[in-house]
Amino acid sequence: MRTIFHLDLDAFFVSVERILDPSLKGKPVIVGGDPKYGRGVVAACSYEARVYGLHSAMPIRTAYKLCPHGIYIHGSHGEYSRFSKAVKNILQQYAPVVQQASIDEFYMDFTGCRNVYGSLFTFASFLQKEIWERLSLPSSIGIGSNKTIAKIGSDCMKPNGITYILPGMEKEFLAPMPVEAIPGVGKVTLKDFHSKGIYRIGDITKLPQDYFAAAYGKYGIDLYRKAYGEGSEYLIVDNYEQKSISHERTFADVTSKQFLKEKLFKLTGKVCQELRDMDWLASNVHIKLRYSDFNTLTRSRMIKPTDDDKTVFEAAWDMLMKAHTRRVAVRLIGIGVSKFSKFPEQQELFEWEEVKRRRMLRAVTKIRDKFGYEALMFGIVEHDKRSMTMVNPFRVKT
Amino acid sequence: MFSYNIEFSNAKILYYIGTAGWSYKDWVPSFYPKQQSAKFDWLQFYSHYFNCVEVNSTYYAYLSPKIVEGWVKKVSDCDDFIFHVKLHQDFTHKRKIDEQSIKAFRYNLDILANAERLGGLLIQFPYSFPFNNSATQYIQQLKDTFSNYKCFVEVRHSSWHNQNSFEFFKENDLTFCTIDQPQIGQAIPFEPIITNDRAYIRFHGRNVNAWKKSINSFGKEQSYEERSERYKYLYSPGELIEIEQKIKSIQTKVKEVHVIMNNHPQGDAVANAFELIHLLEEKDKVEMPGTILKAYPRLEELLVN
Repeated sequence: MRTIFHLDLDAFFVSVERILDPSLKGKPVIVGGDPKYGRGVVAACSYEARVYGLHSAMPIRTAYKLCPHGIYIHGSHGEYSRFSKAVKNILQQYAPVVQQASIDEFYMDFTGCRNVYGSLFTFASFLQKEIWERLSLPSSIGIGSNKTIAKIGSDCMKPNGITYILPGMEKEFLAPMPVEAIPGVGKVTLKDFHSKGIYRIGDITKLPQDYFAAAYGKYGIDLYRKAYGEGSEYLIVDNYEQKSISHERTFADVTSKQFLKEKLFKLTGKVCQELRDMDWLASNVHIKLRYSDFNTLTRSRMIKPTDDDKTVFEAAWDMLMKAHTRRVAVRLIGIGVSKFSKFPEQQELFEWEEVKRRRMLRAVTKIRDKFGYEALMFGIVEHDKRSMTMVNPFRVKT
Repeated sequence: MFSYNIEFSNAKILYYIGTAGWSYKDWVPSFYPKQQSAKFDWLQFYSHYFNCVEVNSTYYAYLSPKIVEGWVKKVSDCDDFIFHVKLHQDFTHKRKIDEQSIKAFRYNLDILANAERLGGLLIQFPYSFPFNNSATQYIQQLKDTFSNYKCFVEVRHSSWHNQNSFEFFKENDLTFCTIDQPQIGQAIPFEPIITNDRAYIRFHGRNVNAWKKSINSFGKEQSYEERSERYKYLYSPGELIEIEQKIKSIQTKVKEVHVIMNNHPQGDAVANAFELIHLLEEKDKVEMPGTILKAYPRLEELLVN
């Protein structure tokens, strides 16, 4: 039996913004762009903002309607990754194994550490205090026998919560929870569940596993196991440095190629913007395609190191078209880049045309950093059915 | 309460945290108050809040001993206050040593040393001073000349970053200065290197654009504002946390850590120095003047946290 901790930094982006500007304390703060300029989504919001019904991933315009007096900020991404690294450094002083799952989430394996640290609950509260005192960041911790249960645990008592799910009590603990508490159940799946009368996790365990396998494929079996409180027990321990940047989108089954093209183009834009924010170049592009029957495939390809939307999109679209062979509706597409290198200072290494594009993209990044991602958008022109080119000037929103 | 703290326990370490210089007119009103009485003295005010300062004026001129004696008097209220003195450019940049210069420089050093106010001697070489036999011989010669002082040597050419050079520093009991500067070209990233039981860390800010610009206008006549623009940089809380963790990772290897903030324009160095006192010395409450709180509201956190 393993002992896994999941530590989640509460409203992480907002907490960091409050360190940068203490006057934001106690106020409804929304990170994710300026509602005046963009149609972006809420990346994080403070608990004071959640009172108004705001939550992450909500369109910023909707958020603004619900909470017009909120403070909307675009975010200081470099600073977030510095604080995230600092948290990891602290955790590594105590935990034998730490896996960073995202910028604000960490798994730790404390199996067999009871003799060193005594009561795990008391120790969790010590860890929480340590991160608060050293970095002024609030966090919640879930303790369980595997990663999934620990994560659900840390989610259920936010902020500043500690939840210890005793081994053997997983199923009972989960049963009354809404199905969306299971990691990986998004808006689209939730709607589907509701249409089938599945509202609580306990509703899943009442059904036979075969039903889930038939309805949702491999993904369904995985969900079914999670509903029973099962999950992965082992941490991925390679030195986490961000290995890839990716974005994906789930649809209510789509058949239009044009629609997919537009969505992939948008996702590419986001991925490349993040690349430029980090000052990185990527030399690998991968795509993910999930059909409505949950069959999922991935493809990847090496490219010349780049941070340019055009290059990445062309590779991704080509891969997607080659991969999309079945006449079945598409449920999800995703794009990611990996194998990063640092943006080189010596621009002589590039052709003049490339240098010009690079400068233009840097300018785009700057404008977006100031006014939000949607302030400036690339357009696409259709030459024929198989190829697309991006054009300048962009559509500038004011 | 029982402490789980494993790594940092029993580390007794002396921190000296201050700025490079104290006499900047643009520190009014962000540090020195606007309304100053006739008796008001900047060094006296400064020494009330910090325990060290790096003196850079000694690099440009052989100061009158009267001035140095004046400093000693002005800090008489502060028991632990020390001065780090930067060696004159004749020694490091022109590399012309004569008996007269040595005598003049030593005289001032001894005033501070006799009053127990001397931290050490900062020997800063330019980029055009690469690692080779004649360079190490020259440093050895300087070390022999100033053998009774703690020597902090700053070399900027990346050729110094190798094991042989570090061994040379260790054998001669010299402190290898760590610097933090904008990451341009072949700049070495901030990573403390330990060669004896002291660490000396200088922060020049990370103002990439102004730094690049200053390289282009090297040798041209410039105003104070133009000259100091490249140091205009306020380290962010995240950067300071990163710095704190790096410095704490060496604290079991050294007895003293000297931290000098050189991002002086408009008082950024002072604000960051207060923040580093809070982080490194783990002080619950840092004593600060109202002026700095007004100029840098985020420092208010250091009063309560």
